[in-house]
Amino acid sequence: MSKGKTQAPTVIHKVIMVGSGGVGKSALTLQFMYDEFVEDYEPTKADSYRKKVVLDGEEVQIDILDTAGQEDYAAIRDNYFRSGEGFLCVFSITEQDSFQATNDFREQILRVKSDENIPFLLVGNKMDLEEKRQVSIEDATARAQQWNVPYVETSAKTRANVDKVFFDLMRSIRVKKQATPSSGGGKKQSNTGGGKDKRKKKKCIIL
Amino acid sequence: MIPLDIVAVVRKRSQGGEEELQKLQHEVGQLAENTALALKKNVYKNYSQFIETAKEISSLQGEMYQLSHMLTDQKSIMNAMIEMSITGHNGEGPEETDEGVGPGEDDTQKHLAFLLEKVEGCSGVTEVPGRHLVHDGDLLEIESESFTTVQKLHAFLLNDSLMLTTWLPHRRGPVKYRLQCLYELDSLAVVNARDMGGVKNAFKILMFPDTRMFQAETPKAKGQWLDILEETKKKKAALDTQRKEAAAAAVADRKSAVSNADVEPPTERSRNSILESELLHADWLQEAPEDLDVAIAQRDFEGAVDLVERGNEHLDGCPKGQAVREYRARIELRIKQLTEVLKQELQVSPERSIRGGPRCARRAVTQLIRLGKSSQACDLFLKNRTAIIRYNIRQLKIEGNTSLYVKRLCLVFFDNLLETGKEFMKAFPQHFGCFSGFVVWTKSEMLYFVTTFASQVFANKTNFTIVAECVAEARTHCNKVSEIGLEMTFTFDRLMASDVERLIQEAGDFQMEAVKHRCSEDQWRPVNHLNHMLQVKFEDEMKDIGLTTIGDFTYGVCFTWLTQNSVQFTKSYVSLCVDMLKMYNPNQHHLVTAAFSEIISAQLRHADRSISSHKFPDQETVILKNAEFLVQCLAPLVQSKYQAVTGQPCSALDHLQATLKKIRRAASTASQC
Ligand SMILES: Nc1nc2c(ncn2[C@@H]2O[C@H](COP(=O)(O)OP(=O)(O)O)[C@@H](O)[C@H]2O)c(=O)[nH]1
Ligand SMILES: [Mg+2]
Repeated sequence: MSKGKTQAPTVIHKVIMVGSGGVGKSALTLQFMYDEFVEDYEPTKADSYRKKVVLDGEEVQIDILDTAGQEDYAAIRDNYFRSGEGFLCVFSITEQDSFQATNDFREQILRVKSDENIPFLLVGNKMDLEEKRQVSIEDATARAQQWNVPYVETSAKTRANVDKVFFDLMRSIRVKKQATPSSGGGKKQSNTGGGKDKRKKKKCIIL
Repeated sequence: MIPLDIVAVVRKRSQGGEEELQKLQHEVGQLAENTALALKKNVYKNYSQFIETAKEISSLQGEMYQLSHMLTDQKSIMNAMIEMSITGHNGEGPEETDEGVGPGEDDTQKHLAFLLEKVEGCSGVTEVPGRHLVHDGDLLEIESESFTTVQKLHAFLLNDSLMLTTWLPHRRGPVKYRLQCLYELDSLAVVNARDMGGVKNAFKILMFPDTRMFQAETPKAKGQWLDILEETKKKKAALDTQRKEAAAAAVADRKSAVSNADVEPPTERSRNSILESELLHADWLQEAPEDLDVAIAQRDFEGAVDLVERGNEHLDGCPKGQAVREYRARIELRIKQLTEVLKQELQVSPERSIRGGPRCARRAVTQLIRLGKSSQACDLFLKNRTAIIRYNIRQLKIEGNTSLYVKRLCLVFFDNLLETGKEFMKAFPQHFGCFSGFVVWTKSEMLYFVTTFASQVFANKTNFTIVAECVAEARTHCNKVSEIGLEMTFTFDRLMASDVERLIQEAGDFQMEAVKHRCSEDQWRPVNHLNHMLQVKFEDEMKDIGLTTIGDFTYGVCFTWLTQNSVQFTKSYVSLCVDMLKMYNPNQHHLVTAAFSEIISAQLRHADRSISSHKFPDQETVILKNAEFLVQCLAPLVQSKYQAVTGQPCSALDHLQATLKKIRRAASTASQC
C-alpha cells in the first residue's frame, strides 16, 4: 500500500520560484531536487517538478514551479503566480539590481493573490560569494520585516539553507491551508479574491 | 425580312386610301387565323412530340434550377476561399507590405478552411481574419495532481491562440473533433513538466482557474510543442509591440502635424491611422460589442441586426487599417453568435414544439437574411419545413384504409408544400438563388412523398381501382400547387412511372386471364332475366355504365342477346378502362391503348373462333349479336371515354370493325350451308 499510484492522494504544496534572471532559482531548485549544483542551466523555460518529501513526519508532495525569463504579457505571468500557494522570492546578494527587483515581484504577487499573508520567503542566494556581496544583511532583513516575511540566505553551490527555505515555506503553506479549509487536493485555487479574475475567465471560450 | 422592307410595303399599300387599308387589314387577319389553325393542326399532328417536348422543357427547367443552385453554392465557396486568402494576408501584420505578395508566400499561408471540415463547432475560430495554423498534434490530458488520464485531445496551435478539441466518439465523415476551448496566447502560461515522478513527456498549461496537464507521445513531440508555443508567443508579442509603437508614432505624428501644420503634411499612412482611431472613437461604436451581447441575450434580434448594420455602414467609410480590422473581428464574433442563436431558432429539436408553423421561422429568417446569411437561412428554413412535414406525416395513423390514408397524406403533404411555398416567397423575396434551392427542396420532398405514397399504395396487393383513385388524387393535388408556380405533376408522373406502368400491365394481364377462362367455358347461352323487372334492372345497370343502346340487344319481356360471359366481360372491361384512364398520363398512351385493344380483341376473337369452328351451329345469331355488341356498343363507349380524358381519338380499337366483318361473313356462309 505504500507505493504506486493507487495510494490515497497526498497533500501537494505548490511552490513558485520568482526572481530576476541569474540569481540562482534553477540552481536552488535542482540542488533541492537532486542534491547537485548545476553550473549553467538553460534559462528560458518555466519548469515544474514534483517530489515526495517528509514534512515533520508527514509524507507530502512538493510541486515546484521554476519560472524563467521575462514574460511578454503580464497576463501570462499572472497565470503562473495564480497557480502557486507559496513563493520563494530570490535575489543574489552579489547583485543589487536583483534585490531591487524583489519589490516588483512582491507587488505583482500580492496583486494576483490579494493576500498580505501569502506564504512567502525572501531568499538571498549565492551566500558563498561573500566577497562579492552588494546587498547587506541589514537591508535585506529590513525589507523582509517590512513585508512581514522571513529572510534567509542560501547557497545553491554549498547547499547551505537550501532544504530550509523549501521546508520553511511548506510549513507556512501548511499552516495557511489548515486555517482556510479549502484544500482538498483540488486543482483549483479557491482562496483567492475572485473579483479580480472575472476578466480572465472570459478568455476561455467554451462553445 | 428586313424592317426597311416592311416600312416600304406599308407605305406603298397605304397610298391606296382607306379601302385599300381595310383590305389589307382583312388579309392580315385571315393570315393570322390561318396561322393559328395551322399551328393547332400541327400540335395535334405532332401531339406526342408536343407532349414529349413539353416534358423535356419541364425537366430541363428543373435541371437549370438545380444547376443554378449548384453554381450559387460553388460561388459562395469560392467567395469564402477568396475571402480567407485575402484576410489571411492582411492579418499578417506590418511586416507585409500592402501590395507586394511575394512568390511562395501563399504556400506558407496555412488557412483555416480545412479546420471547418475537421472540427465541429469551430467556425467562430476560423472566421477571425489573419488567423492561421502553426502546429497541431494529439495530446493526452492527465489530471495535474493525480496524473490519471482525463481524455484524448487534439490540439491546434494558431498564431494567436491554442485550440483544444476532443475526439468525437462517433466520427461522421471528415469531422473528427469537437471544439472544447480556445485559449488566447496573450495569457497562456506554459510549464514544462520536467520531473513529475513517473509521468513522461508532459507539460502544463495554466489558465486561471484551469491547470491542465498534457502528455505528448514522444519527448520530441513534447519538445516541439514547447518550442513552437514559445516561439509563437514571442512572435505574437513582437507583433503586438510593433503595432503599439506604430499607433504611438501615429499619435506623435498628429501632434507634430498640428503644431506645424503647413510645414509637413502627414503621410498617407499616418493620416489613415489618425482617421481610423477617430472614427472608431464614437461612443456608440465603442459600446456596440457589449450592446450586441445584451441584445443577443435579450433575444432582441431585430435590435442586434440594426446595430450590426449601423456598425458596418460606419466601418465601410473607414480606411481598412489594423484598428478597424481588429474592431471588425470583435463585431464579427458577435455576428457569429447572433447567427448561431438565429440558426437555433430554426433548428428542429425534440424539446421545441414542432407545430410552430413557418410563420414562427420568418422572424429568424428575416434577420439572417439581413446579416447576409440568406443561403444558410434558406437551408435551415427548408430543413425546418422538412422536419415539420415528416412529423405531420408520421402523425397520420394508418387505419388499414388505403384510400383514406392517401387522401389525408395528400392533404397534409400538399398543404404543407403550398404553405411553405407561400411563406418562402414572403421570406425570401428577390432571392433567386434561394428560390432555386426551394425548387430543389420540393423535388426531394416530392421524392419522400412518393416513397411514402408508394409504400402504402403499391406495397400490399391493393385493389387496382383503389390504386387508380389514389394516383388520381395525388395528381389532382400536384396540379393544385401550380398556383404557386410549382410544376409537380411531371415530377410525380416521372417518379411513379415504373410502378404505374407495372400495375397497368398486371391489371391488363389479369383481365386477359379472366377472358380466357370465361371463354373456355362459354356455351353461348343468352341470359334469361326471368322477369321484366330484372330485365329493366339489367338495362339500367348497363345504361349507368354508359351503354345507352343496350335496348338494341334485349328483346321480349326478359330476354337479352348477351351471354353471361359478355355481361361479365363488359362490367370488368369498362371498370378497368375507367381505372386506367383515372391514372392516365400521356406517357402511358401506348401502354393503355394497347391494353384496351388487346383485351377486347381477345374477347372478340372468342366469337370469331366459335363461328369459324362451327362448334355452335345453333348459336350463330347469338354469337353475331354478341360480337356486334362488343364492336358497336362497347368499343365506342370506351373510345369516347378515352377521348374525353385525353382529348385524342382512340384509334387502337378501330381494327375491331374488320374483325366484325369477318365474323359476319363467316356467319352468313355458315348459315348458307
Ligand atoms: N557561486 C554560486 N553560483 C550560483 C549560485 N546559484 C546559482 N549560481 C550560478 O548563477 C548562474 C545562474 O544561476 P541559475 O540557477 O541559472 O539562475 P536563474 O536564472 O535564477 O535560474 C549559474 O551560473 C549558476 O551556476 C550560488 O549559490 N553560488
Ligand atoms: Mg532558471
